[in-house]
Amino acid sequence: MPRAFTMRAAIRSGLIAGVVMIYLVAVGIASAFAKREVVTGYLTLGHLMLVIPPLAIGYAMAGRPLPAYGRVTQALVAGLAAGTLFAAAFLAAVALSPGIRLVLNRVSTALLDFVGFRNLGLEPATGALLNLGLAGALALIGGLVRIAPVAVRRAIVGGGSALLVMSMVEPFLRPRLLQLSLSSVAQFIYTSHGLATLSAALILALGAVLAVSWPKVRSTARSRLAAADPGTRSTLRWAAILVAIAFLYTLPTLSGSFLTQVLVLVGFYVLLGLGLNIVVGYAGLLDLGYVAFYAVGAYFTALITSPTSALGWGLNFWIALPIVVLLSAMVGLFIGAPVLRLRGDYLAIVTLGFGEIARVLLGSDALKPWLGGPNGILSVPFMLGNGTYFLPIVGKVTGPAATYFPLLGFCILAAFIAYRLKYSRTGRAWNAMREDEDVAQATGISTVNYKLLAFAMGASVGCVGGAIYATHLQGVVPGGFLLLVSITVLAVVVLGGMGSIAGVIVGAFALIGTPELLREFAEYKLLVYGAVLVAVMLLRPEGLIPDASRRAELEEARELEEGELKVEYDEISGDA
Amino acid sequence: MIGSLLEDPDPVRRPSNLSLVDVILWALRVAIVVGVAVSTFVTLSNTRLSGDQWRDLFIFGISQGSVYALIALGYTLVYGVLLMINFAHGDVFMFGGMTAFFAADWLNDNGLLNTTPYIAVPVILLVGAISSMIVALLLERIAYRPLRRAPRLVPLITAIGASLFISNSVRGLYGDGVKAYPRVDFFQGTFNIFGIPILKSHATVIVSALVLMSALYWFVERTRTGRAMRAVSEDKDTAALMGIDVDRIISITFAIGGMLAGAAGVLYAIVYNQVIWSMGFLPGIKAFTAAVLGGIGNIIGAMLGGLILGVLESLAPTLLLAGYHVPSPNQLRDVIAFSVLVLVLIFRPYGLFGRPEGK
Repeated sequence: MPRAFTMRAAIRSGLIAGVVMIYLVAVGIASAFAKREVVTGYLTLGHLMLVIPPLAIGYAMAGRPLPAYGRVTQALVAGLAAGTLFAAAFLAAVALSPGIRLVLNRVSTALLDFVGFRNLGLEPATGALLNLGLAGALALIGGLVRIAPVAVRRAIVGGGSALLVMSMVEPFLRPRLLQLSLSSVAQFIYTSHGLATLSAALILALGAVLAVSWPKVRSTARSRLAAADPGTRSTLRWAAILVAIAFLYTLPTLSGSFLTQVLVLVGFYVLLGLGLNIVVGYAGLLDLGYVAFYAVGAYFTALITSPTSALGWGLNFWIALPIVVLLSAMVGLFIGAPVLRLRGDYLAIVTLGFGEIARVLLGSDALKPWLGGPNGILSVPFMLGNGTYFLPIVGKVTGPAATYFPLLGFCILAAFIAYRLKYSRTGRAWNAMREDEDVAQATGISTVNYKLLAFAMGASVGCVGGAIYATHLQGVVPGGFLLLVSITVLAVVVLGGMGSIAGVIVGAFALIGTPELLREFAEYKLLVYGAVLVAVMLLRPEGLIPDASRRAELEEARELEEGELKVEYDEISGDA
Repeated sequence: MIGSLLEDPDPVRRPSNLSLVDVILWALRVAIVVGVAVSTFVTLSNTRLSGDQWRDLFIFGISQGSVYALIALGYTLVYGVLLMINFAHGDVFMFGGMTAFFAADWLNDNGLLNTTPYIAVPVILLVGAISSMIVALLLERIAYRPLRRAPRLVPLITAIGASLFISNSVRGLYGDGVKAYPRVDFFQGTFNIFGIPILKSHATVIVSALVLMSALYWFVERTRTGRAMRAVSEDKDTAALMGIDVDRIISITFAIGGMLAGAAGVLYAIVYNQVIWSMGFLPGIKAFTAAVLGGIGNIIGAMLGGLILGVLESLAPTLLLAGYHVPSPNQLRDVIAFSVLVLVLIFRPYGLFGRPEGK
């Protein structure tokens, strides 16, 4: 009975993995990534994506409380189940080809050849069998990795990640190395479109060694730091901060203009994320119309600073900025005042409504004389100089780097403000309000005022982002202010961890930076954002870098739930 | 009436020290009433539209509104049992319309669509309904069920993610472009009903929606499962104690909401003749508006709310803006719908027909 039960569970999990594999193929992700070679001639990112589900399911299955033999068997069974489903789907697709393309338009012959290993000269049936075998083998490997000693596991994960990262940065690193006249290094590491075999092996080994030795290094460093006297510690901290500043300061010079452009994009989302984090993370108000503030900031800036706008004042950016911030905070208050009495989910929808109203109005013919309709407002001047200025050490700054430095400054300022707010009386009031509004009110917190404050703070940060955006692009068009911006910022905040400042930065790099590194990814960006929102909420609602009080709050809710699960589990094991 | 049973226990908080905000709200109310009255007067006094044109706009609004009503029922049913806004419901609707396209295309290639429209059109509706139902069930099982006891914003964020995920999956699976529904001879031309010409496609949409809504009403009011649904929406724990399988009822609720949305997807395609992966968002939000308008959780309210919103959206741009010679007032149609959404949520979150608790 228990054996049958666990086997059924293994098969079911395997089938889920199989569905994931089929999905990856049918939606076109696998073939889009097949162009990206990880190790030239051997492995593409597309293969890697299909390898992950069986590996992962094997790894997961081997984690069950059974003897080692049983765990490996489970992994194998799950893998075979996944493989069977996948192979069956592959054969069905081959049989239904070309008609299937009328519905699932990504299932091309090239894709079927790719999945069925046509390049090895295999017939569909043999290809299907090979897929089945591979899935089983991979799940087995996953299972073996799980029961292997920790050091082995760490080595494999470390080596694999190093390989993946090095191959992903290829389109930026290789040209940059060539520019910096390190062409021999570039040629050693990369071929024209992926890692070279020898360097791949070296990177794998290096990553493995680093991953295995890292815990020991870290623990010795920690114990030394703990043993050090306070003076040394503070010196060390200041040294670390100085190194960080120096690194950020020289980053555009090191990374070249293309990567700087990516950094600027990430910077915008860090800034927006920090602003939204105040509203969502601190005060617990889900604002789905955050893009409205971004748009308001950008359009106000454009109106005031552009000589060709309807106002035609042509003010300097730095004079305009305080005016814009003030106006946006007022807009925030104005929008906030009527809606803040609403309960959480209604508030979210109302703000979404405001965001959409803003979007339609910006692009409408009705407001064209003032806002330019679909053409927007152009010739917004740069922030500093004419987009070119001189800085000590890095010298002449131009192009995206000209936005990078002020943006970095604003991000640091916003992070500082957010940090100080978090541990202030206001931050604690927000915290209390988020956890229980009624209790907060009963303890004398004016919830309406604090909500308004959060809204206005978020609006100001968002509008600063918009103002910089307007000068960065030297103009504003309504197409830049879609609902997707709001949702992307929300995804950044949610992935990093609501209420966590470091989380926002990590989230922005992961969600905004990665799609830039993986151009093939661009088409599936939104798909991944959606999946990230769902997955984070289901698996790790506190985010990647959780904020302490938030985690406690969510854990409380989860314990309630787990109480029930535990009862179920006890029943099952009592059965056994 | 289940309306009163399904109503939200605490739709609005009213602390007593809100004088300034209250003043702003009252100013807003007055401004809206005056604005609407003045612009209606201005439009009607120098109107260029004949009575017939107004009537056609009205009928278009009704047919559009019956699609909104069908989608709104899904929001309302789910809100009734789970107290959550199923933000991905608009994409469930889209999936039905998109999937049924292939059935319509196939039936058209076989000629069945034009030879036996009385069978073919219901088959297409059924395909749409079933495919949407499957998505709705998967959505509930995978994304929502594990989060039943989570803080309120958690399932909402999940739903937003699910919405993006579904629409972009469809974009990947079925392709990027607009899909044009086959032309059906059956829908060409007009019916004359009491001397009023109504486009056949609009009449089909209105009649189908009415049939589906009556069926739903019968199901909820007269069947055992419907009674269980009402019990769950009133009190899950007590319902469970009475021997009702709450998980099953919630699944059924999602299934019904999904089926109605899928049918609505096909009807929407009949009105507009085309479908695309991104079409779920706007009708979804508007249907949500309709659900709130009728009082969320209230089935009859959702139907009426849908019709009201459809008509409002169809008439208001012309009625409110044409008088001022605003260029292309129809661009601002969505603004009207969203303004209704915002205003209803601010002023009457319990709906037009509901009443705040304790009053």
